[in-house]
Amino acid sequence: MIETVVSTPAVAAVAVHAAEQVAGVRVQPGVAGLVTSVVRAARQQIKGLRPAPVEGVRVRWSGAAVVLEVDVVISGEDQAAAVSRAVQRSVRALVPELTGVEVESVFVTVVDVAC
Amino acid sequence: MAVTSDYALPCGRDVEQVWEAMDLADEHTRTCPHCAAVRESLQVLRAATAEMVREEVEPPGDLVSRVMSAVRADVRRADVVPLPGDGLARISTRAVAAVLRYAADGVDGVRARGCRVVEAPESTVADPLIEVELSIAITVGRVTHETYEEVRRRVLAAASARIGVRLAGLDLVVSDVLEG
Repeated sequence: MIETVVSTPAVAAVAVHAAEQVAGVRVQPGVAGLVTSVVRAARQQIKGLRPAPVEGVRVRWSGAAVVLEVDVVISGEDQAAAVSRAVQRSVRALVPELTGVEVESVFVTVVDVAC
Repeated sequence: MAVTSDYALPCGRDVEQVWEAMDLADEHTRTCPHCAAVRESLQVLRAATAEMVREEVEPPGDLVSRVMSAVRADVRRADVVPLPGDGLARISTRAVAAVLRYAADGVDGVRARGCRVVEAPESTVADPLIEVELSIAITVGRVTHETYEEVRRRVLAAASARIGVRLAGLDLVVSDVLEG
C-alpha cells in the first residue's frame, strides 16, 4: 500500500499554474502571501532551488479534499464573469489531475481589472 | 590577518608574510614549496573575495510595485460583489468602479468622478444584481439629456460586456460642471 501525501504548497503551486493558463489572468498575492514568498524563496535559493509561485491561492483542507481561494487580476478585454468561470474550470481540472487531490470548491476573487 | 601570524611554515615564514609577498617574486618565494602551497590557496581565496566584492546586490526592481499591488489586493478583497455562476466567483467593487468610470469617460465632455458599487438587496446567487452611483463632471455646453442617456447606455453596456453583471439601478450624479 503506497500512500501519497501532497503538501499544501504543492496544491497551491498547481492552482496558481492552472489559473494562469487562462488568457489574460494573473494571480495576485496579498501582503501575507508576498512575505511568505520572500521567506520561502530566500530559504530555497540557498539550496539553489527556484520555487514555483504559490501566493495568491489560499488552500483549506476539508477532509481529504481542498477548498481553494484564488485572487486574480484580469485584463479588461474579456468579461470578468466568463474569465472567472474559466479560472474555476481550469483549477478544478488541473489540481486533481496533477496532484490527485480532490477539489471541493474554487472561490475566485477578481481584485482588479486592467483597463 | 593577524590570526594567521601563528601559522608558521616549516621554512620560517608565516601565512601573513606570504600574503604580503604574494605579488612579489623574491628568491625564497619562487623556490620554497611551503610558500608555494600556501600562496596557491590564498590565490583561490583572493579570487573568491574579489568576485563577492564585484557582485552588486540589488533589490528586485519591481519590488515597490509588487508590494503596492499586494496591499491593493488586500484592500480590494474585503469589498466584493458576486459574479454570476455558482456563487463562488466575486469581483472587487473597486474593479467594477474602475471599468464603469472608464466607460463613462468615453463620452465627450464627461469626466467620471466617484463610483460607488453595492450589491442590490434583491440580488440572488443565480442572478446577481448591483446598484451603482456614478458621479460625473460635464463640460458646460453638454449638460443635456442626450449626454446623460449616452453615459447611461455606455455604463450599462460595459457592465454587461466587461463584468457580466446586471444593474438593478444606476444613479447619475452630476457633481460638477466644467468650463468648455
